[in-house]
Amino acid sequence: MPMVLLKCDKDIPEREKHIYLKVDGEDSRDFLPVSNAATLPGTLSERGCAFCGAKLVIGGVLKDTIQMIHGPVGCAYDTWHTKRYPTDNGHFNMKYVWSTDMKESHIVFGGEKRLEKSINEAFDEMPDIKRMFVYTTCPTALIGDDVKAVAKKVMSERPDVDIFTCECPGFAGVSQSKGHHVLNIGWINEKVGTVEPVITSKYTMNFIGDFNIQGDTQLLNQYWEKLGIQVIAHFTGNGTYDDLRAMHRAQLSVVNCARSSGYIANELKKQYGIPRLDIDSWGFNYMAEAIRKICAFFGIEDRGEALIADEYTKWKPKLDWYKERLKGTKMAIWTGGPRLWHWTKSVEDDLGVQVVAMSSKFGHQEDFEKVIARGKQGTYYIDDGNELEFFEIIELVKPDIIFTGPRVGELVKKLHIPYVNGHGYHNGPYMGFEGFVNLARDTYNAMYNPLLKLAATDIRGPVSTRFLEAAE
Amino acid sequence: MNTEKIDQLYGYVQERCLWQFFSRSWDRQENIDGILKAATDLLTGKELELETPMARLFYADAKIMVADFKQRFPWIEEIGPAQIRDLMHGLKDKLVEFTITKSLNRELNHSLY
Repeated sequence: MPMVLLKCDKDIPEREKHIYLKVDGEDSRDFLPVSNAATLPGTLSERGCAFCGAKLVIGGVLKDTIQMIHGPVGCAYDTWHTKRYPTDNGHFNMKYVWSTDMKESHIVFGGEKRLEKSINEAFDEMPDIKRMFVYTTCPTALIGDDVKAVAKKVMSERPDVDIFTCECPGFAGVSQSKGHHVLNIGWINEKVGTVEPVITSKYTMNFIGDFNIQGDTQLLNQYWEKLGIQVIAHFTGNGTYDDLRAMHRAQLSVVNCARSSGYIANELKKQYGIPRLDIDSWGFNYMAEAIRKICAFFGIEDRGEALIADEYTKWKPKLDWYKERLKGTKMAIWTGGPRLWHWTKSVEDDLGVQVVAMSSKFGHQEDFEKVIARGKQGTYYIDDGNELEFFEIIELVKPDIIFTGPRVGELVKKLHIPYVNGHGYHNGPYMGFEGFVNLARDTYNAMYNPLLKLAATDIRGPVSTRFLEAAE
Repeated sequence: MNTEKIDQLYGYVQERCLWQFFSRSWDRQENIDGILKAATDLLTGKELELETPMARLFYADAKIMVADFKQRFPWIEEIGPAQIRDLMHGLKDKLVEFTITKSLNRELNHSLY
């Protein structure tokens, strides 16, 4: 049976529906993991919350926007400085955090006045900033604060500012995926079409679902500039609030992260007739293919071929150096969702790496269709994996390296298995040609890091006392 | 014989093409119809009309796919237009079955995105 009940899940047998082992002779018409479903009682999920999906993943990336978090200060602190999305204006978004710092009395008597005061204070303190996102959180949604009314009042009193409200408290939905959805749909319905862009090129596009992790957007933007394509809006890497209001004027929507941002691309197609082109931006083969498709759309194929030839000349020998040394490596990818299907073939084709297990925190069944179509037989595909399952899967597939986030990464490090940050990267960017060499370098450096052996060494030998029972 | 060839083309599409896995069944159908029609035209030497943005999108996806078909499956350049049309028709049926009619994805038919 391709659906797998792990030993650690014997008391929560429903988990069998979430873990798939690809085998010969069966396909996604027969089996598809349940996903985007409520986490089961008894499983310790690695998921984030809906508010986090909106603020930490999408909104907080913008370089010119105050991110006012209407809730207790912890909601703000825990979604600040844990992502690495720099900007070309001095990283405004990563330097500051804003919160209404709700206390018990505000919960009891209502927080709207406090929100209004906080919005005005923030604009007064930062007179050069005229744009703001306001997010509700669990407590302020529960007490029913009308954040839209507050934003409207402030905007009527301060005509030079514009505020977007995002109402996706942590308890909404089953994971951070709900926050992506709420922000996407809210933005297209309330803000797109409210600014007209200055058109500087015959060729215009939106680049959607790339958040400038360690400079991804800035690296790819070099390509678009060389090709003469104007990016009307980056959703949202290194992006600005007003650029995103002008998305309706692009000729094409190019989508990288279809999970977090596919909704707005679908709506741009439905409401404005802008075609949606999905691409992969990680990997040589994929990046070249993406450039070819974009250039074919605009009829500028020659420019695309010249760019690809330049980049291959510059970076391919370096990639091949790493490929020679990484060939045959067994990798596990435990990230959010889309990177499973973006990476499984690119590391295989470009680096000779075999992906043996993949786990998604918030992917939907669409993501599992993609990754199972691309992934190998004998590989495990897991939805909403938990810590004990990770231990068991490691035993089953014995990966040489694991790409995952810092939370699971700590677990992996204690097992002395090489780990690379698959969310914020170790030393990115990882997109594009140069970026994929960076990924190869970080993989190689993690694999051959001598500290791993040293960390596992105990000069006292087997005499030391270890307390493993507690975890078993 | 044709089944084997269709399976080869289908294997390529499954592994490489994100357009077959769009969010909703109508988007998948639109992509399958549009891209396979453009690919058939390219493979049979028919001139494409690229007047609309969607036609240009389908052409962009089809162009890269057809180039890969020719590189990976050299037999495709040796068969005639009628057989190309048969093959692409077979490929279309298989894609519709796997990604729409028999897909277990429970979100395919939501009326909203």
